[in-house]
Amino acid sequence: MAEKSRKLISEKNMRTETQKAKVGSVIAKIVTYLFLVIMAIIVIFPFYWMIISSLKTLDEYRLPVPTFWPKFFDWDNYAEAFQAAKLLTYFKNTVIVGLVSTILSLVVTVLSAFAFARLEFKGKNLLFGALLGTMMIPGELFTITNYATVNAFGWMKTYTVLIVPFLVSVFYIYLLRQNFLQIPNELYLAAKVDGTRDFKYLWKVMIPLSMPTLISITILKMMGAWNSYIWPRLVANDEAHALITYGLRNSFSDTSGMTDYPVQMAAVAVVSLPLFLVFVFLRKYIMKGVSRSGIKG
Amino acid sequence: MKKIIKSFDHWKAWLYLLPAIVLLLIFTGWPIINTIRIAFLEGYDPMKEVGGETFRIGFQNFEKVVTYKRFLECLKTTMILCFTTVPLSTMLALLIAVCLNSIGPLKRFLQTIFFMPYVTNSIAIGMVFAAMFNIVGNASGITTIQNAGIVNNVLQFLTGNKDFYINWINAGSTYTHNIIVMIIYIVWHALPFKILILLGGLQSVNKQYYEAAKVDGTSRFRTFWRITVPLLSPMIAYVVITGFIGGFKEYSSIVGIFGDTMGPAGNAKALNTMVGYIYDALAGQAGRASAAALILFGIILVVTLINLWVSKKKVHY
Amino acid sequence: MKVVLKNLTKIFPSRNKKDHSEVVAVNNFDFEIPDGKLIGLLGPSGCGKSTTLYMISGLQKPTSGQIFFGDDDVTELSAEKRGIGLVFQNYALYPHMTVKQNIMFPLQNLRGNDKLSKEEILSRTEEAARLVQLDGLLERKPSELSGGQQQRVAIARALVKMPRVLLLDEPLSNLDARLRLQTREEIRRIQRETKITTVFVTHDQEEAMSISDEIVVMKLGVVQQIGAPQDVYDDPTNLFVAKFLGTPPINVFKGRIQGGKVMIGEAAVFDAPGIEDKDVFIGIRPEGFTLEENGPLELNVSGVDVMGRDISVISTHPESLNANVRSIISADQKNEIGSDTVRFSIKPHKIFVFDGETEERIYLQGDQG
Repeated sequence: MAEKSRKLISEKNMRTETQKAKVGSVIAKIVTYLFLVIMAIIVIFPFYWMIISSLKTLDEYRLPVPTFWPKFFDWDNYAEAFQAAKLLTYFKNTVIVGLVSTILSLVVTVLSAFAFARLEFKGKNLLFGALLGTMMIPGELFTITNYATVNAFGWMKTYTVLIVPFLVSVFYIYLLRQNFLQIPNELYLAAKVDGTRDFKYLWKVMIPLSMPTLISITILKMMGAWNSYIWPRLVANDEAHALITYGLRNSFSDTSGMTDYPVQMAAVAVVSLPLFLVFVFLRKYIMKGVSRSGIKG
Repeated sequence: MKKIIKSFDHWKAWLYLLPAIVLLLIFTGWPIINTIRIAFLEGYDPMKEVGGETFRIGFQNFEKVVTYKRFLECLKTTMILCFTTVPLSTMLALLIAVCLNSIGPLKRFLQTIFFMPYVTNSIAIGMVFAAMFNIVGNASGITTIQNAGIVNNVLQFLTGNKDFYINWINAGSTYTHNIIVMIIYIVWHALPFKILILLGGLQSVNKQYYEAAKVDGTSRFRTFWRITVPLLSPMIAYVVITGFIGGFKEYSSIVGIFGDTMGPAGNAKALNTMVGYIYDALAGQAGRASAAALILFGIILVVTLINLWVSKKKVHY
Repeated sequence: MKVVLKNLTKIFPSRNKKDHSEVVAVNNFDFEIPDGKLIGLLGPSGCGKSTTLYMISGLQKPTSGQIFFGDDDVTELSAEKRGIGLVFQNYALYPHMTVKQNIMFPLQNLRGNDKLSKEEILSRTEEAARLVQLDGLLERKPSELSGGQQQRVAIARALVKMPRVLLLDEPLSNLDARLRLQTREEIRRIQRETKITTVFVTHDQEEAMSISDEIVVMKLGVVQQIGAPQDVYDDPTNLFVAKFLGTPPINVFKGRIQGGKVMIGEAAVFDAPGIEDKDVFIGIRPEGFTLEENGPLELNVSGVDVMGRDISVISTHPESLNANVRSIISADQKNEIGSDTVRFSIKPHKIFVFDGETEERIYLQGDQG
């Protein structure tokens, strides 16, 4: 064996081989970076275009040869956007709906997750399995009947209709239950022996230890309210209750091309800004929830 | 003592679960039963039902839906978008993830940029895409073009022809061009999640596999196909399955670009999808909407099962 | 193929950006590995032995110094061009490939003039599998194999391309004790059959001693001693090497040279003519004690371990650096051990004296070297 191997390799001129390999790896590095940078530019370009467009005057926006940096920062577009799209009203609606539904959802989720993680009762596994099973069903299937139900309840065009039907998320219960299960059961039994009440135990031990998951849920829920479009469009499409995304789309439904794009882009930028801030400051919590869920934005 | 705790637990547990269960029964449990029920009631109308009328049980809703041209068009659009965007975005995400994983400097910075589209509002950014593809100043076919839009500007630059432009999404644009815009937008929006998952997978692959391959003189290409892809196959299967599930429910990205009309001006609903069809039928034709929702569920189930079956054969552990 | 390491040095920059301290993983390593020998790189973790192995493989580049395979300078050559086989500590078998696919993978990589026909690939794969006695397991996945079998697949994969040098990184550390004994014999046999120059890394001195032609003892990046296992054991150059080799380990006492005598406490245990007075460490191998009624060294007996042919006397001594002093004597002499104390004389060649400051060996008259 050893003799054959000598033949295989040492006949080659090692110096040129080495040089070739070096040149090859440098080229590979350059190609890799080039590809990544081009892709990154494509990925980020819409954000850039949104911001510079929102600051151009309509005349500049319509120039035959586009400018890549506004000649003049037309901040008035933002003022106009707030007027044209009634963003403040929608913003207020969204904050109310987002806050109330997040708080209620957290309470319901914590209670349910605690029951599933710590308490023993008949049919626990069956019930939990059934709940997980519903996660497979597309939401559209529920919407049809829920539309009729909220109509029958007389909830159309109220805040209630935006808050209550999607208050319970099986996914959040699942996420939090998994987190609760990681807390050693001995802590609970010790608390029991000391006569600590369940609520106190939940509040003092379980919740502090599960803070990262609870923050993730809060962010995802708030983002859900911010981004929701379909349901609000169906059941609360009046100005007094419309949420921001529906309001935004509905204010600029004209696709004829004569639209005042700078103003529209200003409105889009305003709606995107909170999400961007969430991204900058709370990315790690979102990624944590995202990588386990597979839900799309 | 333990027994006392247990029986006490029993009713306490249900108390804790009460709010969740009540809400889930009303807004999840009942809809499942009811949607299936009305899907099989012929000529169902909630008003008539309140009036005490009964309906024949049968497959009429399903028949109506699957023979209805509008629905078939929705199905076609959904399928085209699904079967183009999922493979495209998966391959692109895999390529980006592998490249990201192989570099040192700028890695975190580029990673952050590639994750940015995830935390965006698909309607709002859809409007930005629409602006980029739009022909500025072209009102319904009247040629008052002042600026053909940034995408067309780039094409003009690349072709060297100052008057060249493609009508992507404006009045009179073709289905093909509309679909291309949708594919670009959906792939753009689907990338971050897939990159995140695949990069996470790559980072958990033992580096020694690559060292072993290097010692054995494995080419980059062969390392990618024979080692990286098989070792990543569980994550690839995961992003493909979730991608298909999301793809079949495509709706709001189209609203983002075309608005409620789901099509270019003068050609409303040209790009309607299955979910769009369900929402259109939901108020007036609950029976058909329900049948369509069940069909959608069936398709998703079948595609998911096929995916799982394929990945069982191809996923290597 | 002989392998020559010339002034090989590897310096890792500090991970901490603020302090610019560096870690010298390997410092000025000079060694010529003779053709066809099995060499054990031995040392505690962090001694630079793995780094040395990775530099020979080409996966890491030396900071300075050169590596030769035969007469070829391969220092700048990348790993895949060196023609080496490398067995990783955790084997790095591709989990998605069968045993056969794993073994033939390196052969399928060959391109151009080296490209092999399908038949040739298959026959060489089978030959390699036979060599490591895996014939019946070719269609299994690595997860269906025991640790020892996985180890042999890794070796077959490294051997199949007929490497010029075979490198093994802690090849036995993931195996249980029984398999370890068996596998190390196996490695020895395969190496003898193929006559491939082999370097392996281990922190287990027993393992290194039992199968190596030569061992290299390293500490903090610096080579301490190179030699045949028995020579290194019998003639350690410093206290570290003496302590690192041997089971049970060597007994170390604090003492001094005084008037040409080696003193432990007030007992003159050995002659050291012509050496100036100074503080020293005294190492005595467990087998270096002879039971003698009037022997110079008195120990306080705390127990006796019976090991069959031999017994191990466990005792204490105020000057001992180890908690216990172990001395191994024939089981026949068990009855001669007193209940409280025992007296020994010391065999020559089993006692080593080291400088109290530098810990370097002080050679007594009659010592080798």
